Amino acid sequence: MHEMGIAGSVIEAVRVEVARHPGTRASKVGLRIGEWAGVDVESLRFCLEVLVKDTDLDPLALDIDFRPQGSELDIAYLELED
Amino acid sequence: MERVAIEKKVLSENDRIAQALRERFAARGTLVLNCISSPGSGKTSLFERTLEGFAPETRVAVVTGDIQTDNDARRLARFGFPVRQITTAGACHLDARMVEKSLEGWDLTKLDLLLIENVGNLVCPTSYDLGEQSKIVILSVTEGDDKPLKYPGAFAKSRLMVLNKIDLLPYVPFDMEAARRNARSIHPGIDIIETSCTTGNGLDVWRQWIGERMREAVARSRPT
Repeated sequence: MHEMGIAGSVIEAVRVEVARHPGTRASKVGLRIGEWAGVDVESLRFCLEVLVKDTDLDPLALDIDFRPQGSELDIAYLELED
Repeated sequence: MERVAIEKKVLSENDRIAQALRERFAARGTLVLNCISSPGSGKTSLFERTLEGFAPETRVAVVTGDIQTDNDARRLARFGFPVRQITTAGACHLDARMVEKSLEGWDLTKLDLLLIENVGNLVCPTSYDLGEQSKIVILSVTEGDDKPLKYPGAFAKSRLMVLNKIDLLPYVPFDMEAARRNARSIHPGIDIIETSCTTGNGLDVWRQWIGERMREAVARSRPT
């Protein structure tokens, strides 16, 4: 169950990016996850929902680009709204 | 709405620490091997047999990870080489910060080989770079020969697969050729060694493999 730690790292990165754009909030984060990254996508989705719930980031949509036979575990983009 | 490209690894902080560790080790020619497997595949036994084969003056140390207990460190310390236990208290893998912290107080200039025994788990440890030169996956014949297909990440990222407990082959329906084929379907270039820690079969090949990697690490650390 290292997905919770990974979800925490995603949230941390989102907060860093939001802080660089004052007056905005994050609405969606895009992740790129390879089949061989050792990450259960549904578990990660659940962990992110739990970490975001009832915080200033709630709601945060998640867009996962799953890559067969890949090892990626990247934050690709963040969507910000005013 | 604005879309901002980030293009950052989720585990970038772990990767930063791991890379710093790798550079420290590489500069000194220290070989670091990160051993990954399911619980019960025989990692600790393989390490015991490995350590007992080293001359006392060999500059080897071990870091071993478990969720609880220091049983493995106590088993491995009997051979007289430095051993540190990382108890993760719930985490299912080692990360680079844990390894960095565990090395505090050791004179790394006096180390030629660091063996890392990861927490028994074929999934999560594959995500975390520990600063090793190579990952090694250990698969015992009491497991399924289709494990490379079920847990491809561990096999895709490992330089070597050790097929362990081969003395038990007469008693289990494990197809060695299928295991080899499955591993190479995921990672065509993976090295494969067969071992038994009970009979000692294959341990000379395993030790030779480590020796070759140690010589490579030393050669890479020297300016050409």
